[in-house]
Amino acid sequence: MKNRKAVFSFSDIHVEVEGKEVVKGVSLAIAPGEIHAIMGPNGSGKSSLSNALMGHPGYEITGGEAYLDGNNLLEMEADERSRAGLFLAFQYPLAIPGVTVANFLRAALKSQRGPEADMSDFRKLLKKKMAGLSIDESFATRYLNDGFSGGEKKRIEILQMSVLNPKVALLDETDSGLDIDALKTVAAGINQFHDETKGILLVTHYQRLLNYVKPHHVHVMIDGRLVKSGGPELALKLEESGYDWVGAEAGLKAGA
Amino acid sequence: MSEAKHDIIIPDIIPELERGPLWLRQKRRFSREAYNDAPIPPRGLHLWRYTDPAAFVVDRTTSSDTAYHDNYDVIEKVELHNLSEGHLSGLVSDFGGREIRFHGFDRLRDQGIVVTTLSEAVERYPGLVERYLYELVNAGVGKFEAMNGALWNDGIFIHVPDGEVIEKPIHLLREAGSSDSAQFPRALVVVGQNAQLTLIDEYGGGAAGNGSGGSYSNGAVEMFGLPDSRTRYVMLQRQSSVTTSYLTHRARIDRGANMLTIALSFGGAVTKQNFGVTLNGPGAESNMYGLLFGSGNQHFDNHTIHHHASGQTRSDIDFKVVLRDRAVSAYTGLIRIDRMAKSCEAYQENRNLLLNLGTRAETIPELEILNEDVMCSHGATIGPIDPMMVFYLQARGIRHQEAVRMIVSGFVSDTLRQVPRDLQERITGFVTQRLEHI
Repeated sequence: MKNRKAVFSFSDIHVEVEGKEVVKGVSLAIAPGEIHAIMGPNGSGKSSLSNALMGHPGYEITGGEAYLDGNNLLEMEADERSRAGLFLAFQYPLAIPGVTVANFLRAALKSQRGPEADMSDFRKLLKKKMAGLSIDESFATRYLNDGFSGGEKKRIEILQMSVLNPKVALLDETDSGLDIDALKTVAAGINQFHDETKGILLVTHYQRLLNYVKPHHVHVMIDGRLVKSGGPELALKLEESGYDWVGAEAGLKAGA
Repeated sequence: MSEAKHDIIIPDIIPELERGPLWLRQKRRFSREAYNDAPIPPRGLHLWRYTDPAAFVVDRTTSSDTAYHDNYDVIEKVELHNLSEGHLSGLVSDFGGREIRFHGFDRLRDQGIVVTTLSEAVERYPGLVERYLYELVNAGVGKFEAMNGALWNDGIFIHVPDGEVIEKPIHLLREAGSSDSAQFPRALVVVGQNAQLTLIDEYGGGAAGNGSGGSYSNGAVEMFGLPDSRTRYVMLQRQSSVTTSYLTHRARIDRGANMLTIALSFGGAVTKQNFGVTLNGPGAESNMYGLLFGSGNQHFDNHTIHHHASGQTRSDIDFKVVLRDRAVSAYTGLIRIDRMAKSCEAYQENRNLLLNLGTRAETIPELEILNEDVMCSHGATIGPIDPMMVFYLQARGIRHQEAVRMIVSGFVSDTLRQVPRDLQERITGFVTQRLEHI
């Protein structure tokens, strides 16, 4: 169902990877200004869900609907979804040899703004955003993710979000591989991005990012389904007690 | 080319064989005999598996040599501008050897640097020319090298005396004639001790693709880097899409000498190229970059050789290939390390990017390592663009075509960085042009 209030909503999403169903009917509506978190054990399908929503060619959406700001997402190619305002911060960003961070972001921003757009502010914008995320200026001329550490890649993902300024951001395990300082920097970047118009979906295994980015709603995903929803206190309970009890409550095996 | 060609013999009485002093006439005659005696290489033979040698058998007597391609003037103008802007040290326009013009060499001549036609060099610098000409590219290399050895007319001779440094490139524009022309360009380059040279060797022209007969070119380049010299050699193949081209390049560098070879291939219908550097003294270093972008029905066959004849030498090859439409490429890379050559380093990488089904690439690394005290590695990849890379760019809003263009441009960017400034814009243009309508 199209949810007119939500900036981003999807219902009964099914996803297959290599013929195997990994997401088995998931629905969610994110109102403007809301931060949601999907938590779950490894293999629960939460990364598959975010990749499929972005249009990853390896994940096939076999059922359901998704709307971004009123646009039917599933009819669009990945680049159209992005231009419609969707952003996915990847768990494992790829290296693109020979393409510098600056050139990549310039091309991306230009595609968002349109071919006739004035890009004269780009350099200044990039410099400011990089400084905000404590990314050294030299990264602008380095090849995208080529030889970057795990933490550097995550910061560059947040930099991309910050420069492209989407309506809805899906953040897939953005906290993994970060030390505490990097985690704080990245969280500050997310909080800075967030305002009353944005929708954010945090996909994470651990609760620790949620100490710095406060979700309004927390959902638990197990075996391809959202089995429980609650407020921020749910994340704390998961941190204390793990996932098994939710699974047991839902009559499911929590997996790894 | 599809029908079997008979071998064509170089006749005994032709003007090319009568040119030059006695030693040269003897070498030409020897080359002629070697050519006539050698059979057309059988297809199964090493280096001929991927290209039909019959393509390079040509009857020079039926070749006409009149017209030149219209766009030549444009390119000469660009390079004359580069010359006037100070991006070049000198420009040579070589019309298939029939006419050779020299632009802007006054200052270099004052430095004692020799840039002249090979025929004039034979007369004026007999000692130097006799010593080096045919030393590396001769009948012993193969049938078609023998053909050039008999028929070259004319060529370029460059000598940079010991200690002389030429900061900006010398640019050779070698223009093939139009329909049914045959040319046998040749160059001999000697870079003295502690001397420095950048040479751009550009092969252009050839018949227009309008149904008239294709043109033919068979070139030979010999280069010598004396101790502690630094030489940069940039070969650009941008001949018309109906030109058949054969090129053999050989260089020998001595103790402490450095050679950078950049082979940029965009043109020709059937192109077979062979680049070889012998490292002949301790401390010698050779780096090679290849960039080939094939489209349409182009056929490329490249061979590289790094021959470590001395210990404590280093070589590195990075040969990149991009193919689209129905283009075909074969790359054979030989690293040879002699038995007595200790403590050598040799690296080789050949990466092939296939932009669509219907293209074909072969990669054959050949290692002849006769000494155990070496550091050596080679790598090769053939495949399409990683769809995950395309998705990553698309996920940021970049359209599919643009994403492909960016990834391919990234793939070739390290090589482009090596290209001298006066050429960079044109080379980037070739790449961009070939990425249209992907």
